[in-house]
Amino acid sequence: MVLQLIITSLAMGIVYGLVAMGFVLIWRAVGVVNFAQGEFLMLGAFTAYTLTEVVGMPMGVALGVCAFIMGLVGVVFHFMTYWPLRKSWDMTVIISTIGASIALKEIVTLVWGPAPLAVEPLVSGIARFMTVSIEWQFLFTIGIAAVLMGLVFILLEKTYLGHILQAAAQDQYAASLIGIPVILATSLTFAISALITGVGGLLISPIFFVVTTMGGITGLKAFAAVIIGGFGSVQGAIIGGILIGFIDTFSGAYISSTYRDAIVFLCLILALIIRPQGIFGEKIAEKV
Amino acid sequence: MIIIIAVGAAIFAPFAASNYLLRVINMTMITYICVVSLFVIFGMAGQISFAQAGFWGVGAYISAILTVDLHVSPLLAFFASALGAALLPAILGIALFRLHGHYFGFSTIGVVMILNGLFQNWKPVTGGADGIANIPPFGIASLTFNTEMSLFYLILFMVTAISVVTYLIHQSSLGRAFMAIRDNEIAAKCMGVNSYLTKIIAFTISGCYCGIAGSLYAFMSSYVSASSFTFPQSALYLVMLMLGGYQTLPGPIVGTALLMLLPEWFRFLQEYILLIYGLGVMVLMVVMPDGLIGGGKKAYEFIRNKRGWTDAIPKQPGNDAG
Amino acid sequence: MLDKVCKRFGGVIAADEVSFALTSGRVRGLIGPNGSGKTTILNVISGICETDPGNIIFEGDSITKEPSHMRARRGIARTFQHPRLLRRCDIKTNLFLGIDLGNMKKKSSVISKKIDQSLEQLLEMAGLKVNMRDSITSLSYGQQKLFEIVRAILTKPKVVLLDEPAAGLNTKEMERVKALIDIAIKNNAAVLLVEHSMDLVMNLCDIITVLNFGRVIAEGIPAEIQNNEAVIEAYLGKGRHA
Repeated sequence: MVLQLIITSLAMGIVYGLVAMGFVLIWRAVGVVNFAQGEFLMLGAFTAYTLTEVVGMPMGVALGVCAFIMGLVGVVFHFMTYWPLRKSWDMTVIISTIGASIALKEIVTLVWGPAPLAVEPLVSGIARFMTVSIEWQFLFTIGIAAVLMGLVFILLEKTYLGHILQAAAQDQYAASLIGIPVILATSLTFAISALITGVGGLLISPIFFVVTTMGGITGLKAFAAVIIGGFGSVQGAIIGGILIGFIDTFSGAYISSTYRDAIVFLCLILALIIRPQGIFGEKIAEKV
Repeated sequence: MIIIIAVGAAIFAPFAASNYLLRVINMTMITYICVVSLFVIFGMAGQISFAQAGFWGVGAYISAILTVDLHVSPLLAFFASALGAALLPAILGIALFRLHGHYFGFSTIGVVMILNGLFQNWKPVTGGADGIANIPPFGIASLTFNTEMSLFYLILFMVTAISVVTYLIHQSSLGRAFMAIRDNEIAAKCMGVNSYLTKIIAFTISGCYCGIAGSLYAFMSSYVSASSFTFPQSALYLVMLMLGGYQTLPGPIVGTALLMLLPEWFRFLQEYILLIYGLGVMVLMVVMPDGLIGGGKKAYEFIRNKRGWTDAIPKQPGNDAG
Repeated sequence: MLDKVCKRFGGVIAADEVSFALTSGRVRGLIGPNGSGKTTILNVISGICETDPGNIIFEGDSITKEPSHMRARRGIARTFQHPRLLRRCDIKTNLFLGIDLGNMKKKSSVISKKIDQSLEQLLEMAGLKVNMRDSITSLSYGQQKLFEIVRAILTKPKVVLLDEPAAGLNTKEMERVKALIDIAIKNNAAVLLVEHSMDLVMNLCDIITVLNFGRVIAEGIPAEIQNNEAVIEAYLGKGRHA
């Protein structure tokens, strides 16, 4: 029983981690919190539905196609919310993303209808390890998500492209001076962010009903994960996500399933009071 | 004063309006109060807060519980709401204003989510997901406000009162202290502003406004449920404030009016309403990042500069430009 | 004369056992190469940084643990290296912030008449003919620095801390700074002047403390400092007053 909870926590946690990573990538690149991040999750899930149920693709192919589509979504989103406002104050971009989140929810409702949808599991069946039975689904989710995170890591740390993205994230002006096309860097960052979050949506689509509201609370919890892990740190986002996954699942099981959300956010506030910069965060000093 | 003009105009409006329209206007005014509360804590004091909808809920539930379960008079319940919704941020502020910069804002996200969780699940007190129904109408002495029209006047009165109070704060040294914290906290501290305490005061005032709005809402709709008091609602207040112009006094009026009333005029678009709403917000941010009032001011100055050259010289003679 | 802010032992790496006293009506200069810890000292006095160990004593009271706003209310005013003004407010609000401080307990209407007169004088000294309703951003950099000094001395503070007031100013503006400092002295303020401009320092200061790497390497009247070997060495190439 505990093992099952652990697996569930890991699965949920790693998905939170993907969303959290999405938040952090955008934050690091452009200094803005993307209030529509949860909607990327939602879009990924709905896309998964269409690809698997309507078009009938096998899940493996759907994964790839969904990732590609979400990447495109990220680019479009970038040009609609961030790019026109890149020179103005952060709040305007944030408001724009709020508007986008409303718009995205509506687009989804218009296209897919308001009823909740169901998606077949990626991998059906139950695995049995000794006396414990775990759905393959969860293990699969953990596996794919981990691979995806690993890929993003390698991209950012080891490849030339990744270095370009990091440079543009740290200082747009300086990056442009040394010849980096900032527009490419930022749009690519948004694309990656949307991609990983969307795949996260695909991964959890068989576990929950696919509804337009699924992005909301999951997005907020992932945001809490970002803060707890350390605002601005990619490792922090992942660790934070997994942590939130555990807090969420275990408090749901042992403390109260009705208050589980509230408990997650209570932890957020406690974490902020005790250690605002999170686990991996940096303290930023202000020059007087 | 812009506020008084707006109010005066509004007084003449109701004689032609239908009940439905009045309800919309009433709801708009209640929302306006919450947006003004955000103006106090964010527009003036620079501390972004997503907890406003939560405080609104606190106000609403206090009034509901007191009148329905404890049979307290609506007037007393009203004051209790205002007090309760002011006390909560005061206490929260003591802990939360130790956080700097955007961390405070993040914590307010936590606050609204926790409050919403309590509203949704604390069955014995808040009725859980069912909410609280059969709230009696508001009444003072022999007057009962149970028609849209009478509610209109009641809410209008509160709106005017709150707007005037906000204006007075804005002009006072307290308001300056708020703005000093917003624009340059270190300078404010070195000029004698106790930023910690002042932020708590701003938060408390804004909570009080939300409490009043919540109480009015409870009496107006006779039913409160947790689904109204959510994070997206708080985010909406923020959007309205930003669209109107977040640092200006008339900003909240414009922003709220726009986002509450326009959808009504475009009702015929039915399903596409929210989509246009969302897209509209995005577009407006690009076109007018300072909000409509700010954009209006810029347009005004642009026209002024084009018309008269003498007005356009920025530096006065006698000043030494560096 | 009254004895104001006194000894200070800075434990921060930026300030290493720095001690000095400020006296009313006198100007003390604090100079030293960049990074020697001058601004840190100002921050410690105004309460932005903590000093550990160390003490700050103001008129006999220890204010080491007091928060910034309390120190400001005692009458310690300062300016900043890069002007810290309320960018989104108009000039009137920016000025009134200073006046609020002065009138903490009094009714502003009674005081405002008196303030207006001295305000006029100060603004004229600073060469700022401005419209109260203008945005503060309409002032040039030099004007903003002068404005900050006006705001600081408006309340007739007992201690004035000036952080490189002349940086980025032209000659005319520098003269205005001198004039404003003179007014502060006339009002019996104790002035601590952190500056790089030797012209201003040598002319205005009664006594100078020289810092290098957070330590006091010399202290004395301008003439002595100019000829002090350690100081010359620390500056290496810094222009001297002819």
